[in-house]
Amino acid sequence: MSTAALTRDDTWAVSSRTIVYAAIGAALYAVAAQFSFLLPGTASVSLRPGFAIVTFFGFAFGPIVGLFVGLVGNALADQISGWGLLTSWNWSIANGVVGLLTGLLGIWLAATIRNRPMRSAVAAAVAIVIGFLIVFSDIWLGTAKDVGVAFASNYLPVVVSNLIVAVILTPILVAAWDPVRESIGR
Amino acid sequence: MNIAPRYLGRGSWLARRDPRVLIVGLALFVFSVIQVWDLRILVGLALVAAVYYRSARIPFHSVRLQWAYIVFFVSFIVLANTILTGGDLRDVKSQALHVYFRMPLLNTPLSAESTSYAMAQYLRFLSMAAVGFPIAFAVAPGDIGPAFARLGVPDKFAYALDLTFRFIPSLAADMRATIDAQRIRGYEWEKKGRGPIGKLTRTVPLLVPVTVNAIVGAEDTIDAMDLRAFGTGRRSWLRELAMDRTDRLVLAGFGLLLLAVTAASLTGLTRLWVPPFLLPA
Repeated sequence: MSTAALTRDDTWAVSSRTIVYAAIGAALYAVAAQFSFLLPGTASVSLRPGFAIVTFFGFAFGPIVGLFVGLVGNALADQISGWGLLTSWNWSIANGVVGLLTGLLGIWLAATIRNRPMRSAVAAAVAIVIGFLIVFSDIWLGTAKDVGVAFASNYLPVVVSNLIVAVILTPILVAAWDPVRESIGR
Repeated sequence: MNIAPRYLGRGSWLARRDPRVLIVGLALFVFSVIQVWDLRILVGLALVAAVYYRSARIPFHSVRLQWAYIVFFVSFIVLANTILTGGDLRDVKSQALHVYFRMPLLNTPLSAESTSYAMAQYLRFLSMAAVGFPIAFAVAPGDIGPAFARLGVPDKFAYALDLTFRFIPSLAADMRATIDAQRIRGYEWEKKGRGPIGKLTRTVPLLVPVTVNAIVGAEDTIDAMDLRAFGTGRRSWLRELAMDRTDRLVLAGFGLLLLAVTAASLTGLTRLWVPPFLLPA
């Protein structure tokens, strides 16, 4: 029975498995993104538990799946909520980059952190802090007037809320998935 | 809760267009709108968006919630920009502002310029949303994959997009079934107390089974694709897409709009404009 996790060799391989996992992840994220709640004491920081699906799929199935889940899942979630597929296209790219980085960091950190749930949390946290820097492009797009607004009303809330979600839920998903993965030989 | 996009515009003028028109048209329109702050031009673009949206014949009562979400979200963005920037505006020096009054506590000036900026932001976002809506509601779900493939997206990823749209209704149903099953066991998502972390961990009984079941259930789809030799050669699509003259005219219209707006932007004609009636006497 195979227990192999994703290795450097198959990082960029695109098989039928990659395509189906990417589609499942994007659809799950689009559905789960409709559930959110405000962080008490804040006006704009909402926790979206569904965001953990981006980091989990990136970590478990690789950077290509992570990129697709974040990019397409976020665009579809925006489309379903009515916001529009491309209205916040830079945020969809940011979500995709987080999924991509989580996948890459999951592989790069394999030798350093042996515990997979712990590694998934670290990979997700670093990916979120770096990936969401893309939302500063809101200054160019006119959604944020300057760096101060982009930081205070866009970057900081999304990083704080997604860090809380990803650091708690990604390891739980990894811990739940690993035994199943072993039992089905994936 | 109906999460899956519904084909509400079926039979409308816009639904009869090649789906590539809706996707490329939206991209061209978004890149036009983000260059403009002049309210006069934005009103024109909003009219274009309104006519385009009307041609999809999407019943308003079916998308009321989506529009309410948009208005709420845009209001939040506008408020955040007005309050957090302390009244500073791009291309306008603070000495040149026509200030009405300063907000208590924050001391943020509310000016004719910031009011124009807020109005411009509303128009920009509402226009983009109006042009984006028909992709969800006026494109046949089966046309998504072929449309992206014909737009140059590699076949495998176009198929992944197609699959994503197909999975959404079934996964939404799985989510509902899991919520019901957990409720029978005493689960309450809406339960108050225990703070945000408690609320977050309360999603675990939903998120974990739905995610793991979806991945395990995907094995059948993977096997079916492998048995049909997916990815071993160039893919053909059952649905043939062909643009007619109207489709080309619509795309040309959006293309010309982008060219005109870009030219105006390069010559400085799209900057923030304050309507005279907003200026204090």
